[in-house]
Amino acid sequence: MEAMSPLERVLRGIALTLVVVFFMFPIVWIFLMSFQTNETILRIPPSIVFTPTLDNYAALITGKLQTAAGTLDIAFMRNLGNSVFLSVVSVAVALALGVPAAYAFARHKFRGSEDIAFTLLSFRFAPPLLVLLPLTQYFQWLGLSNTYFGLIWVYQLICLPLILWIVRGYFEDISADVEYAYRIAGHSWFSTFRKIALPLAGPGIAAAGLLAFIFAWNNFVFALVLASADKQPVTVGALAFVTASGIQYGQIAAAIVLSITPTLALALYAQRYLVEGLSLGAVKG
Amino acid sequence: MTDIALLLKDVDKFYGPIDYGVHAVKKLSMDVRKGEIIALLGSSGCGKTSTLRMIAGFEAVSRGRISLGGREIQTFPPVRRNVAMAFEGYSLYPPLTVRENIAFALKASKLSQSTVDEKVASIARLLEIEDILGRYPSSISGGQQQRASLGRALIRDASLHLLDEPMGQLEPQLRAVLRGRIKHYIKERGLTAILVTHDQTEANALADRIAVMEGGVLQQFDTPQRIKERPANLFTGTFVGEPPMNVFEASVNASESRLAFGLKEGIRLEYAASDFSHAVRDALRKRQRVVLGVRPYAVKRSADGVTGRVAVNQWLGDQTHIAADFAGGTLVLVEHDRARLEVGQPIGIRLEPASLHVFDGESGDAISHGEELA
Amino acid sequence: MTTLQLKNIVKRYKGQTVLDLSLDVADGERLVLFGPSGAGKTVLLRLVAGVIDPDEGRVLIGGEDMTDVDAEHRGVGMAFQNFALFPHMSAFDNIASALTARRFSKEAIAAGVEKVARLLKIDHVLSHHPKALSNGQKQRTALARALVGSPPLLLLDDPLRNVDAKLRFEMRLELPRLLAAQGATVIYVTQDYKEAMALGDRIAVMFEGQLRQIGTPADIYDTPAELEIARLFGDPTINLLDVVPQRGPDGAFAELSGVRLRLPGFGPEIVGRACVLGVRPENITFTEASAVGAIPVTVEAETPLNEKTVTLTLTARRREILVSRPAGMPGPQAGPAHLAVNSRATLLFDKGSGRLMRPSEPASKRNGEAA
Repeated sequence: MEAMSPLERVLRGIALTLVVVFFMFPIVWIFLMSFQTNETILRIPPSIVFTPTLDNYAALITGKLQTAAGTLDIAFMRNLGNSVFLSVVSVAVALALGVPAAYAFARHKFRGSEDIAFTLLSFRFAPPLLVLLPLTQYFQWLGLSNTYFGLIWVYQLICLPLILWIVRGYFEDISADVEYAYRIAGHSWFSTFRKIALPLAGPGIAAAGLLAFIFAWNNFVFALVLASADKQPVTVGALAFVTASGIQYGQIAAAIVLSITPTLALALYAQRYLVEGLSLGAVKG
Repeated sequence: MTDIALLLKDVDKFYGPIDYGVHAVKKLSMDVRKGEIIALLGSSGCGKTSTLRMIAGFEAVSRGRISLGGREIQTFPPVRRNVAMAFEGYSLYPPLTVRENIAFALKASKLSQSTVDEKVASIARLLEIEDILGRYPSSISGGQQQRASLGRALIRDASLHLLDEPMGQLEPQLRAVLRGRIKHYIKERGLTAILVTHDQTEANALADRIAVMEGGVLQQFDTPQRIKERPANLFTGTFVGEPPMNVFEASVNASESRLAFGLKEGIRLEYAASDFSHAVRDALRKRQRVVLGVRPYAVKRSADGVTGRVAVNQWLGDQTHIAADFAGGTLVLVEHDRARLEVGQPIGIRLEPASLHVFDGESGDAISHGEELA
Repeated sequence: MTTLQLKNIVKRYKGQTVLDLSLDVADGERLVLFGPSGAGKTVLLRLVAGVIDPDEGRVLIGGEDMTDVDAEHRGVGMAFQNFALFPHMSAFDNIASALTARRFSKEAIAAGVEKVARLLKIDHVLSHHPKALSNGQKQRTALARALVGSPPLLLLDDPLRNVDAKLRFEMRLELPRLLAAQGATVIYVTQDYKEAMALGDRIAVMFEGQLRQIGTPADIYDTPAELEIARLFGDPTINLLDVVPQRGPDGAFAELSGVRLRLPGFGPEIVGRACVLGVRPENITFTEASAVGAIPVTVEAETPLNEKTVTLTLTARRREILVSRPAGMPGPQAGPAHLAVNSRATLLFDKGSGRLMRPSEPASKRNGEAA
């Protein structure tokens, strides 16, 4: 590091503070909202002085939503469970399929391998709505709409390309000589994959898995169209707070806080892997 | 003095907090004269690259002063130091061709296009990269990238040129050719250059003076010849020289007329006291343990000398490298003819007093050097 | 110990032939593959190891056709130039990897690893991961991994390239003993001619995927088949001077700065041909002006090179001639001097083809020979 003058230090501090405020403000605001009633949220002028209440969280957990028009049943906890289930299983399936495929693409260049890999990536480019219409028709015809199986299948469109491309970059980064050395030492290609390639690509696989999890968790459109209330994840479930008697800002805020907590916690925990994995994938991909 | 180009005074480098972090460079002082080529020589982690980066301005100086052309520069950012640097890791600008990369260094100089073209062409000829001037960095080999990076540094008219392992990626034959040409180029233009290298052949061939570093400490700073003939300590003695100096621990037994060194396995080297100067004899009398060093090409064979056993005999076309099991270690001899020696055969060895370097057994500091006695 | 035969091997990458040769290695032989980078040495080793497949030809190990056998079943040991250690395993596990595949007992594996580690003096760092090893220790670990299973065929891909000069020299002395104790047939790749001469029973010189010369170290140093080979052996490099031999009273001679240099054994067949005269720096000495055949030169510069002193001299036509002498021998003063060339140690190459011309052998016949 260059030695800094005091002025530089101050300027740098101000710049950093501005950036932090800009990115953190909405999160802090939502967090505060989740402890307020609709009245305190909507009062004019707004104020950050209020008596905190746990009603919003209580309503979400018990599933009883009090509105001016009476009590409404909401399935938020069920939605949360759906989110966890769908995301975890989708990522697990995507890892099981994507990691070996990534290895194949990294190590065996065959005619058309680049094209196939790119085609898989291009699923990420297509606007989901474009895919959704025909998909809905197929799924109804196959009896897959409104099933966990069908949703997990569709979630592969989100997870698989991500895992494939990030992990492939990682595999390509492992020196071929290291794998050759293990083969020559008398081990089969499969045990080389298991004992050498997998552990060495570990951080990349973890990063890709995490990222895929976050993307799956945040998905809205696929679940909105292909799942009915009992299979919906939180992203769609939050719509229930837009009721006939108005929008329940407090509950929405609480729901958001609850639903982003897992991904936030995961992301913070694995920050290092994420940055490493992503920058590598980006460069190598 | 006006002929001092660069001066380092008590420079310390800590990675981490001063006095608590990793102490990479320790109280380094050295001076570089205008038009001189200096080599910082040492193995990896010896502090040579940290030193270079402090001079260039890529690392902050923890303590001490660096002055360039009489101005203290340790707080200046790199751009204000007027220093050109060739990086070990090439660091070419990827979107520019090799030609543009090299010419880029002349952007600030406001030279006419034809002058720039001429200069680029001449340096490309020197470095044998004329045929790749139009190519992009990603499409050329590591060795070619390295030469392009070297070209970009050398073409500049800076007050100091820093070359960080500039030829590490090149093939041996090319390296040998380029050494001579680069030295000629630098000398012809009167440039001042500091070269960081772990290759002593490169340091010997290019440098006017070599700074040998180890553990962040400057071990010796002298001409190649003096470093070879009068190594300041055991480290320099064994680090510089190819093949490396043979060393043996020995006990000293000095009487009025005789001087004897006792080596392992009961081997005794006996000399007349008159073979050594008074000062050396006095110094040796005060010590029990010393380390003896002998350069491989100074070891002579002799039927009535001490004996070793031939372990390896390698003919290299113009010289023979013989390794003998001797005094619990290995003694290497270099001869200029093909030696007819079988492995396992006993071999008589004579270590002339004039060929002996004697180092202190504890500190490793040099006590005497053979040549000065002869 | 075993034999290795490569029969008409061809390997292409993207339509370019990178390897095209046949090679026989004898039982217990130490063969050095020598050549500039890109010559195909590493490709050849990988073909033998079985991690890449040839496009044509057969690989025979111990007389058995192994061309279609997977790498793990060929039973060879290999050390890589970049060490290729497994970064997530300790030095012990790295070395043991060559034994675990064979389902040895834990004790047998530990004993095998300990033994080779002691031999290579790395027994004190076996628990370290590669990151914590010095370069020299990494190199020894890689070597230990190749040696531990006592493979009958050892492939060493420039194993000393990435260690410092001192270690390289020590290993150059240590390796012959180590390899002799193993009793394996060894193929050793290097770009360092000294290493090649010190370690090879024979040296195979490769260029552009082809075998250009194979012979003992002395054969190759004394009679390099081509200019390019002559240039790669020797430090400082051989002096190469363009000459056109002329007819003299006692055979052909070349003229250097107006002085006649006899070309022993050559007759009228080379007269008038464009040739290149090769003289190694150690075969030239300084002499008196009055000596017969003394070539007048100017001394330009002197550089110490390890155990030698190299003098750069220029002829009247400003042709560079390098002269070397053992360090410590008195040298010439700067300025005019005279050189004596040992005419029996000169080499004559055909300028067009670059091939060595041998005395008392009609040149026309040699031209007809196949490469």
